[in-house]
Amino acid sequence: MRTRGRQISVLCILFVGAVLFAYGLFFHSTAISSGQDEDSAVYVQSEPALIREVSVGGLRRDESGQVQKTYTGQPPSACPT
Amino acid sequence: MVKKNNLLSKLVPWRMWVQSIFLLVWLDPLALRLHGMCCPVFHCYACPLATFACPIGVIAQFGGIHIFPFIAIGLLVVVGVLFGSLVCGWACPFGFLQDLAARAPTRKFDPPKWTGHLRYVVLIVTVLAVPYLFGEGHPLFICRICPAGALEAAVPNITQQAIAGQTIVWPNALKLTILILFLVAVFFVKRPWCRILCPLGGFFSLFNRISAFFLRLNPEKCNDCKRCHKLCEYGIQPQISPNDSACIRCLECTRCGPEALTFGSAFQHREKPSAELKPERSQANT
Repeated sequence: MRTRGRQISVLCILFVGAVLFAYGLFFHSTAISSGQDEDSAVYVQSEPALIREVSVGGLRRDESGQVQKTYTGQPPSACPT
Repeated sequence: MVKKNNLLSKLVPWRMWVQSIFLLVWLDPLALRLHGMCCPVFHCYACPLATFACPIGVIAQFGGIHIFPFIAIGLLVVVGVLFGSLVCGWACPFGFLQDLAARAPTRKFDPPKWTGHLRYVVLIVTVLAVPYLFGEGHPLFICRICPAGALEAAVPNITQQAIAGQTIVWPNALKLTILILFLVAVFFVKRPWCRILCPLGGFFSLFNRISAFFLRLNPEKCNDCKRCHKLCEYGIQPQISPNDSACIRCLECTRCGPEALTFGSAFQHREKPSAELKPERSQANT
C-alpha cells in the first residue's frame, strides 16, 4: 500500500476507533434492572460499570429484552464460566 | 534511505524481557483490579491477578446482552490500526506463556497454513454469533471453552477452593479437553493458540497490511539469501509477505544480515522511497 494511502487509512480508522472508545468511556450507558421481579429498580450504568459487571457474569438479558443483574447483594468474586 | 527503527531493532534480542515487563502490568501488581477497562491482550478477567478485563470476554458478554461494546471495540481498533499484531508478539501474556513453553527441547511441528483461518471462525462463531444468538449460557460461548480462562482462572480458583476445603467447581468437559490439548500442543508447536485459534490475534492480524507500524522490505538491500525464512519461527516467508496475517511481529526477521527488513512507520520521513514488494509481484520474480 502506498505511503499516502496508508497514512490516510490509518488516520481514518484511528479516528473511528478513538470516537468509539471515547463514546463508550464518557457517554454510553444502559438501563439495568437490579432484580428479577417487576418491582425491581431500574437504574442507568455507564459502560465501564457494565464491563465490571460482565467480568463477574453479573448481567443477563431476560425474555422482555431488559438487561438485569444475575445476583443480589454482593457481586460474585469471579466470572462463573 | 529508510532509517531503521533503532530502538525496536535493539530490543528484538530482549523481546522476552519486554514481555516480562508487560506481564507485570497485566498481573495487577498494585491490586488495582481495574475491571471497568479492557486491555488489548488475551488475559482472562477471572484470573485472580488480572488488572484489566479481557476484551474478547467483554465483546462476547456484551453480545450476549445485545449491547454494543464501544470501549472494547474502540480500543482494539486503535491498537490494531497502530500496531497490528505487534501486541501479540511483544505484550500478550498468553503468547508469552507459549513462548516460554516453546523453549522446551522437544521437536517442533508447523501447523498447515490453512489452520490460521480457524482464528476467524472462532472469532465469528464463539465471540460474535453464539453470544448474540444464544446468550452466555451456550456451551460454545468463548469463555466456556477458552484455555486462557481455564489456565489463568479455573486452575488458580480450583487450587484456592481445594486449599480452603470448599466444594471444587470444575470447568466443563469441553474446556478441560481444550486445556489439556493446549498444554500438550505448546511443547510441540510454537504458539499453537495464537496461530490456530486465537480470536484476538485473528482480529489484530486483519490490520497487519494497513497498520501505521509495519515491516518494510527494502528490495535494494535484499539479496535473496532467505535468512529471514530461517529466522521466522512461524513458517512465514517475510521476504515475500512481510506483513502476513499469520505474523505475530516478533521482528526476528529484521535480524537478517543485509538488514533488508525494517520495522517502520507510515509517518516516518523517507528521503528516498523504497518500493514495497507486493506478494504477487515477488512470487512472479521468484
